[in-house]
Amino acid sequence: MRRRDCLGLLAALAWPAFGTAAESGPDRTLRIGLTPVILADQAAFLTRWAAYLEERCGVAVRFVARESYQPVLDLLLTQRVDAAWICGYPFVLHERDLSLLAVPSWADEPLYRSYLIRSRRLAPDIQGWHDLRDRVLAYSDPLSNSGWLVAQAQLSRAGLSAGDLRRSFFAHGHRNVAEAVAAGLAHAGSIDGYVWETMRLQGMGATDDTDVVWRSEEFGFPPLVTLRQPSHARVDALREALFAMPRNPEGRALLEALNLDGFVPGDASLFNSIRLQAMQIPDSGVQG
Amino acid sequence: MLRRLPYRVQIPLGLSLAVLIAAVLVTAVSAQVFSRSARAETLAQVDRAVALVIAQVRPMLVADDTWRVFSLLRDTAGLLPGAPLGHARLAVVDVDGRVFAASDPLRLETGRPLLGEAWHGAPLPREGVTRSWRASREDGSVLRLDPITSDDGQTLGYVLTEIDAAVFGADWPALAGNALAGIVLAVALLLPAGWWVGQRMTRPVERLAMLIGRIGREEPGKLRAQLPHTADPELARIGDAVAQLMDELERRREAEERALSAERLAAVGRMTAAVAHEINNPLAGLLTATRTLRLRGDANDVRERTVDLIDRGLQQIRSTVTALLPQVRVEERALDPDDLDDVLTLVQGTAERLDIRIERSLEVESALRVPSAPLRQVMLNMLLNALKAAGEHGRVETALHADAEFVEFSVANDGQPVDAERLRTLIAAEGGRDPQGFGLWVCQELASHLHGSFVPDPSAIDRTRLVFRVPNREDPASPS
Repeated sequence: MRRRDCLGLLAALAWPAFGTAAESGPDRTLRIGLTPVILADQAAFLTRWAAYLEERCGVAVRFVARESYQPVLDLLLTQRVDAAWICGYPFVLHERDLSLLAVPSWADEPLYRSYLIRSRRLAPDIQGWHDLRDRVLAYSDPLSNSGWLVAQAQLSRAGLSAGDLRRSFFAHGHRNVAEAVAAGLAHAGSIDGYVWETMRLQGMGATDDTDVVWRSEEFGFPPLVTLRQPSHARVDALREALFAMPRNPEGRALLEALNLDGFVPGDASLFNSIRLQAMQIPDSGVQG
Repeated sequence: MLRRLPYRVQIPLGLSLAVLIAAVLVTAVSAQVFSRSARAETLAQVDRAVALVIAQVRPMLVADDTWRVFSLLRDTAGLLPGAPLGHARLAVVDVDGRVFAASDPLRLETGRPLLGEAWHGAPLPREGVTRSWRASREDGSVLRLDPITSDDGQTLGYVLTEIDAAVFGADWPALAGNALAGIVLAVALLLPAGWWVGQRMTRPVERLAMLIGRIGREEPGKLRAQLPHTADPELARIGDAVAQLMDELERRREAEERALSAERLAAVGRMTAAVAHEINNPLAGLLTATRTLRLRGDANDVRERTVDLIDRGLQQIRSTVTALLPQVRVEERALDPDDLDDVLTLVQGTAERLDIRIERSLEVESALRVPSAPLRQVMLNMLLNALKAAGEHGRVETALHADAEFVEFSVANDGQPVDAERLRTLIAAEGGRDPQGFGLWVCQELASHLHGSFVPDPSAIDRTRLVFRVPNREDPASPS
């Protein structure tokens, strides 16, 4: 159950999903935008986490799921959710309008890497980005740092353009990238390293049929953000509840299901490497 | 093997065998029917799957969404027979004839040129296919290509469907398993039923066989009452035949009883006649002796001899009568040479009446130990028969010879020769019809009783010589 619980929150790291949630509700409801792959057991995990946060925030907590980053971002920018768990790339893209609420900590650091994975059966000869000519590459999401932005930078560095690939496509989530590469739909995929490691830790089959052939530098972990405006009391309560999770058993159990250590305040500078990388990509939307 | 078993085993076994054969044949036919209907059903399923894919994939193709097309194909292919074993696959091909996504990407690689190329040894049509294209290969597999068109008729891509031949083959292990279960169930139900039916069918036959086995040992009337009544025409015929056989046997038994009764009566008659004959024989001599006594009884020696003769004659009659009484042993004296003279004296009257001369020969080298009564009876019978056979003016020779081993008495006459066959005929003749036969029959019976023989002499030419020969023992009837 915890493996699947974890996957529920991997959504926050840019996993596409199906399902909807009411975007309007009572004024006293705290709404948090996520991009989970909605499964029954994930819904159960989110119900437990919402109940945990409600108890500490004193208000009703509701997770609002969307299948990719853009709709969640739209919900946040139009104030239809109070907070959203998004990727570092959309954070730097909309940095003027957003402020950090909390940054997840993984392996004692609020950092993660991007991986290039290959299909073990279909493309065992791929050793790096330069081997992707005339190959099929799977991305995660157009607003994902590890699942698209890093890949663009590395392809450029390898001297390859989009036209040099046989084909590329978005798999709408990191987990789908792993599954697409494992199935042979793509020869290789660009994926969030935290997601791949968590899938491997939880014994998910897709990681057995894929190999990591490249690891990026460290980037700031996908953060929880709010709109840059005077903080509301319930958002402050949410922040405190997140920071306090490692300090009680129920919170630790929830974090263990997420394969995280906890949440830290974080700082915008954590995302400098993403910002710099985006500035090198012509169509990234981030300007110096 | 089966035919050597009893019916009560044959019938249930035969039923079970019939069930087995029927089940196997039904299974074989079912497999063929199933194979044909399964192929049609599979093709219908493929039709539905392709229609579903075409309906769902258009917006995904327009959005160039490889992942969602793959998800759709993977989920839809899972509905096709054989997909879990990798025998069915779906692919969406783009307008350029390249694989856009496939349910089995390892076989149908993303981006691979496909249309116009050879696929599994068969060429695929080039792009521009506007109607569903289908190919049934020699191995039984099916390949089809269906265009995906927009609402306004623009070709957006194609759905390629491939079903391997293995999908269309009958699932023999499953069929065999079901057939085996059916056979076991049928046999489990029919075997006891078969046994019961077999027992019911064979019970009358078994009872008939048992009754037939008791025929001859038990009363036919009692057995007839136990004949099984059955509605089966064949068994009824057998029962009727057995009843008829019993009737015949009963009639035969009654006939035998009647014959036995008649035989007994005849035997009694024969015995009575024989006794009368045996008593009558010495009586003639005794009457002659009484006449002699009356005429010349004054002379002492005549009177003494005549009285002795009468006494021995009466003793012979007494012995003859006593011999008829079983379990009575009379104190017998041994034969004496004088007995031959007595017998000759007894037949003398008859011989004189026929003008027959009797020659006598006596050679006694050893003591005579044979009983006198049967020997006197034999000598008297043989002499009277010889006189009768010789006829008037005939000639009769008698000889009594004894040594340590045997006592032999022979009588020869010059009448019609009698050989062994003729003697058997005379002996076998009914006494009532042939009085001559009684004496000879008595001789033969006594020879048999005394472990001796009574046969004609084969060396006698132109005459009859009968030889009575017994062991020279006190009790020749008992073996030495």
